[in-house]
Amino acid sequence: MPTVAPATIDDLAAAVRDTAPSSIAVRGGGSKRDWGGVAEVAELEVSTAALDRIVEHADGDFVVTVQAGARLADVQNVLGSKGQWLALDPPEAGATIGGIVATAASGPRRLRFGTPRDLLIGVTVVLADGTVARSGGKVVKNVAGYDLGKLFCGAFGTLGVIAQCTFRLHPSPRAIRCVSVPLDDPGDAVRSLRRSPFRPSAIEYDGTRLSIVVEAFESAADAQAEQIRALVGGEVSAAVPEQFGARPWRSGEVGLKATFRVGALSPALALARGFRLSAHAASGVLWLGGAVDAGVLDELRAGFAAYDGSVVVVAAPDGMKRKLDVWGPVRGVEVMRRIRDQFDPDRRMNRGVLDAV
Amino acid sequence: MPSEGAWDERHPPPTELLDDCVHCGFCLPTCPTYVLWGEEMDSPRGRIYLMAEGHDGEPLSEPMVTHFDRCLGCMACVTACPSGVQYDRLIEATRAQVERRFPRSARERALRSLVFKTFPYPRRLHALRPFLRAYQKSGLRLPLPAKLTAMQRLLPPLGPASPVAELTPARGPRRARVGMLLGCVQREFFADVNAATVRVLTAEGCDVVAPSVQGCCGALSLHMGREDEAVRFAKRLIATFEPLGLDVIVVNAAGCGSAMKDYGWLLRDEAGWASRGAAFSAKVRDVSEWLVELGPGATRHALDVSVAYHDACHLAHAQRITSAPRELLRAIPGVEIREIEEAAICCGSAGVYNLLQPQAAGELGARKAANVAATGADVLVTANPGCLMQIRTALADRGIPMRLAHIVEVLDASIRRDPTLLGP
Amino acid sequence: MSATTSALPGAENPGNVALDGLAREFVAALGPAAVVTDRVQLRTYECDGLTAYRCIPGLVVLPETAEQVGYVVRRCAQSSVPFVARGAGTGLSGGALPVATGVLIVLSRLTAVRNVSVDDERVVVEPGVVNLDVSRAVAADGYFYAPDPSSQQVCTIGGNVAENSGGAHCLKYGFTAHHVTGLEVVLPDGSVSRFGGLAPDPPGYDVVGALVGSEGTLGIVTEVTVRVVAVPERVETVLAGFRSMDDAGEAVSAIVAAGVLPAAVEMMDTLSIEAAESAVACGYPAGAQAVLIVELDGPAAEVSAELAEVEAICERAGAFEIRVARDADDRVAIWRGRKSAFAAMGRISRDYIVQDGVVPRTSLPQVLRDIALLSAESGIRVANVFHAGDGNLHPLVLFDSTRGETAAAEAVSERILELCIEHGGSITGEHGVGNDKKKHMGRMFTEVDLDVMQLVRCAFDPQSLCNPGKVFPTPRLCGERPGRRTGVHPVQAAGLGEVF
Ligand SMILES: Cc1cc2nc3c(=O)[nH]c(=O)nc-3n(C[C@H](O)[C@H](O)[C@H](O)COP(=O)(O)OP(=O)(O)OC[C@H]3O[C@@H](n4cnc5c(N)ncnc54)[C@H](O)[C@@H]3O)c2cc1C
Ligand code: SF4
Ligand code: SF4
Repeated sequence: MPTVAPATIDDLAAAVRDTAPSSIAVRGGGSKRDWGGVAEVAELEVSTAALDRIVEHADGDFVVTVQAGARLADVQNVLGSKGQWLALDPPEAGATIGGIVATAASGPRRLRFGTPRDLLIGVTVVLADGTVARSGGKVVKNVAGYDLGKLFCGAFGTLGVIAQCTFRLHPSPRAIRCVSVPLDDPGDAVRSLRRSPFRPSAIEYDGTRLSIVVEAFESAADAQAEQIRALVGGEVSAAVPEQFGARPWRSGEVGLKATFRVGALSPALALARGFRLSAHAASGVLWLGGAVDAGVLDELRAGFAAYDGSVVVVAAPDGMKRKLDVWGPVRGVEVMRRIRDQFDPDRRMNRGVLDAV
Repeated sequence: MPSEGAWDERHPPPTELLDDCVHCGFCLPTCPTYVLWGEEMDSPRGRIYLMAEGHDGEPLSEPMVTHFDRCLGCMACVTACPSGVQYDRLIEATRAQVERRFPRSARERALRSLVFKTFPYPRRLHALRPFLRAYQKSGLRLPLPAKLTAMQRLLPPLGPASPVAELTPARGPRRARVGMLLGCVQREFFADVNAATVRVLTAEGCDVVAPSVQGCCGALSLHMGREDEAVRFAKRLIATFEPLGLDVIVVNAAGCGSAMKDYGWLLRDEAGWASRGAAFSAKVRDVSEWLVELGPGATRHALDVSVAYHDACHLAHAQRITSAPRELLRAIPGVEIREIEEAAICCGSAGVYNLLQPQAAGELGARKAANVAATGADVLVTANPGCLMQIRTALADRGIPMRLAHIVEVLDASIRRDPTLLGP
Repeated sequence: MSATTSALPGAENPGNVALDGLAREFVAALGPAAVVTDRVQLRTYECDGLTAYRCIPGLVVLPETAEQVGYVVRRCAQSSVPFVARGAGTGLSGGALPVATGVLIVLSRLTAVRNVSVDDERVVVEPGVVNLDVSRAVAADGYFYAPDPSSQQVCTIGGNVAENSGGAHCLKYGFTAHHVTGLEVVLPDGSVSRFGGLAPDPPGYDVVGALVGSEGTLGIVTEVTVRVVAVPERVETVLAGFRSMDDAGEAVSAIVAAGVLPAAVEMMDTLSIEAAESAVACGYPAGAQAVLIVELDGPAAEVSAELAEVEAICERAGAFEIRVARDADDRVAIWRGRKSAFAAMGRISRDYIVQDGVVPRTSLPQVLRDIALLSAESGIRVANVFHAGDGNLHPLVLFDSTRGETAAAEAVSERILELCIEHGGSITGEHGVGNDKKKHMGRMFTEVDLDVMQLVRCAFDPQSLCNPGKVFPTPRLCGERPGRRTGVHPVQAAGLGEVF
């Protein structure tokens, strides 16, 4: 599979257009290459590795424009020097901006800041036929035209290559405090936290321990952490625990993402018994790792459906994935297929990855 | 496009007032008919639009008139409007044109004339009393046409009529000399309210002057577009009160008060009357407004009740009086005030609306009753006889037992240390 | 209750047999009270909050259930009759402008709150539910619905979804798009689809994200699931009076630079203060050339630290009066002035245009100076009310049509949009493109960008029946492939901005 790594958007468009390949695979940092359905071997691989510039950091406006191949960690370093950050914290090391957006990858702080769709304010994309288009802009508030950015979030590259993104930024947190408390069932604690006046950045549960992160002015962070400790117990520290927000699966295992209505944390955790897990406990998201076969997967799906949720296979060795229905039922899939048919009628992009649609 | 529009030259809804409407829709959620039916033509914005269409060549058609007729004249839209659209002026002008120019069906004409031949005339209402009382007592429910049924169902239980003296002197040192409007409906069906008003006013140091012959204030006529009739009534009332040397003229029926405060405008075209009207209007006070202005003199004794206070539209929206009644109630030890959900929305009484549009009035009444009941208060208090009748019926229909009182009755009970007055 | 149907169905369009037949069918299926055909009645629907564009709809239908909406749309699709959705008709871009040969589907009777699940932080409503009623439904539980357009007491959730409406508090809480997690939609062919729901991150494309803000062109929303948030522990509202817009603008920049994220930062200039005063007597600092409203909310400890910082910044920036709301009533009084400002313009000017543009926050002072210059040159007054925190300007261009000022006012208004584009901003921050701004879309986006957006349209509405003629300057037939872009992006070539 030949790979191109264009350094400009026009080159990227030209590469796609001029070779008119029958199938295209998009590659970012490769940190999530085992995510989604089993990718078919493509005629051309497009790498965003050379599209790694920070195009503009308008720090007074709290906005950054970056090319898709830029690594999140590098971007954060640059922004951090100005006391700002892009409020996304998926744990995959080496992840690029494009990959994070394409997979809608999220981390613990989604509780407070949301997922890529919530921070992306403008996008430039290259479609399968080389068409370059953009939507949105570089201002936070903007309702002109359809928001293509949202459609590309979580589309796993099937609608086109994300070439460049503009994000809204936040001030870097001044102080961080973490309240940690061991709990068998964090349901009640999380419920009372959600109803409390506190505004944690993250509430994570790893199967044994609930970690509540507050980020604020020093004094305010201390005060909140102390009050939270009074509410749920545990200990306060000035750093998050090791493995905070890490995905719970090991290589060779199946990794799942399960969602549920947020009030159903306890029953959702009960369904997940037997798996290693990492929960965005106040957001309705569970990451699971362990051994999974089709029967187990069906059972899980039925279980989470009762809480209006879904279960998708995130990561697994190809051999295992082939035996599983990776995406499961998708609500509104007919419309999604029509969208895909419009953007990529020949289905050239990332074939196999989002095979449900 | 039809060439001749809905309006003739004589006081059409003024275009410069219509132009004030910026079509923002802020008035929609407070309009009772929009709340009921959710359609543009039955909203203030829609009615204003219809008026403008009338200037734009659209004829005064049946559908157009229907939407004007369905307006309760509650003026909630005036309160809600950030642009200061004077819907009160607009609908008044519109109704006068409709009455003058739109041919109504025979049925509709008959009903309207029955209403207007009795309600504004205390003596005719009085003459009806024995029949109505007997009818009520007999428990008979004759198969009357829907609109007449509506009329008889609304009547309060009738006690013996008790007239108000022409002059009742202040108790203790005199603080003011006030005239009192007896009201057509108030005097006949709510004699207790008038009696309580006199007692409260005298207790607060007012000489109360209440000419026994004073006629109607013209509010009903005015709200229904019978402008000439309203003008006649207004002149007579002014002539009656003018020579009496009064500090203020107190009104305990919100609908009457709002009309009387507007005599200056009503009589604007009547030679020699415009300034007399304005001078008269300047003296008109709702009883709550007046009592707050005067400040409490008589001691308030404790009443251990929870009170749901209902804002009568003609008090809250037309006269913008919402805090005075609450202030008076709050000043009574032991009284707990509970606010009613959807307070701004009319109960459906609106003058004779419940007679002319019984179905809509019934739906609004039911809605109001539900909101009133939800407060769980002991007593429903308001400041308008129409609202009292309407809400009483609506509560009774749903089998909700609740006492009702005019605000002066509550004050009277407190001042006289007589909680039984509020008894069932 | 009824729209009195006196004229015969289709009377408005004697030649339109399709509409004629549909009217009869709808009367039969939905009852006469749900169908409007009389000319004077139809005309009350001829415009929304932007009265500059008017068109008498061929037919108005007022369904009461989602099934009825589905039926009406299906019949329209089968008869190739265009249709337009309408909520409360408060839109300011002519989005709900009817089609003369089409059906206007009014959602104002779909007002049920279907499900309140505070424990899941979700409320499920029908599209005709008024924005503020969502907050009312959860207020007793200590929750609220964050997006708060100034029209919140009247505009509907369906309209909010269509426009991706925002409000003062969106600076911190985000827009409608950030609070909608599920939709039920009648697609333009009349079929019903659901996307998302109570749980987050539904698998597949983010169709909810694409639908929010699509201005009613992709289908008719019949159910909306929204996220509600807990009422903050403490709210502080600061009202600061400044002697110049520049000073106020400086305060805004300083607040943001200090790392404070207020719930809202709103600015008003003298003219808008004057209008608001005359409408609601809000009692803003006398003689102020600009007022700033800064609202902070959150945990008590955090808010008190921020409050001290904001007060100090305002003072340093030259505020001559700083008032902090003492209680909830006080706060309401401060906001009343701001929230009534648009509609109150009617009090100081016969006519006005509400403009809605966005610039990067740092460009605000420059753009405001440019607008002032524009106003001075043209003799057309411009009042400024805006969401300063996110650079969303709402210049109100005041004029008197009876004195022939209309053209000049329109020119000023358009020039303001050009300023926004020149500064890398947007032609609309919250009111939408609708009918009004489609002509400007070509200045923000290329033909190709717009063609690609049309791909989405074609996926949903290949017949182009759903709110046709809105948003896009030149409707394109579905089925053609968009042209390909070669060479330099025209926006870049024109020096108007970088491709991003
Ligand atoms: C005084 C004033 C202040 C305002 N302030 C703000 C503000 O601060 N922020 C802001 O964002 N907006 C504001 N607006 C604009 C307006 O209120 C919003 O755009 C609002 O969301 C429109 O809601 P509506 O129910 O009135 O919709 P409408 O005006 O009836 O329709 C708007 C659009 O939505 C579509 N639509 C309506 N319902 C549906 C549905 N169920 N499914 C699909 N499409 C549908 C229509 O076709 C149309 O395109 C203001 C308007 C006014 C008059
Ligand atoms: S007066 Fe009352 S009923 Fe009439 S339009 Fe205004 S709000 Fe509606
Ligand atoms: S609130 Fe006032 S300006 Fe707005 S539509 Fe109603 S009447 Fe017109």
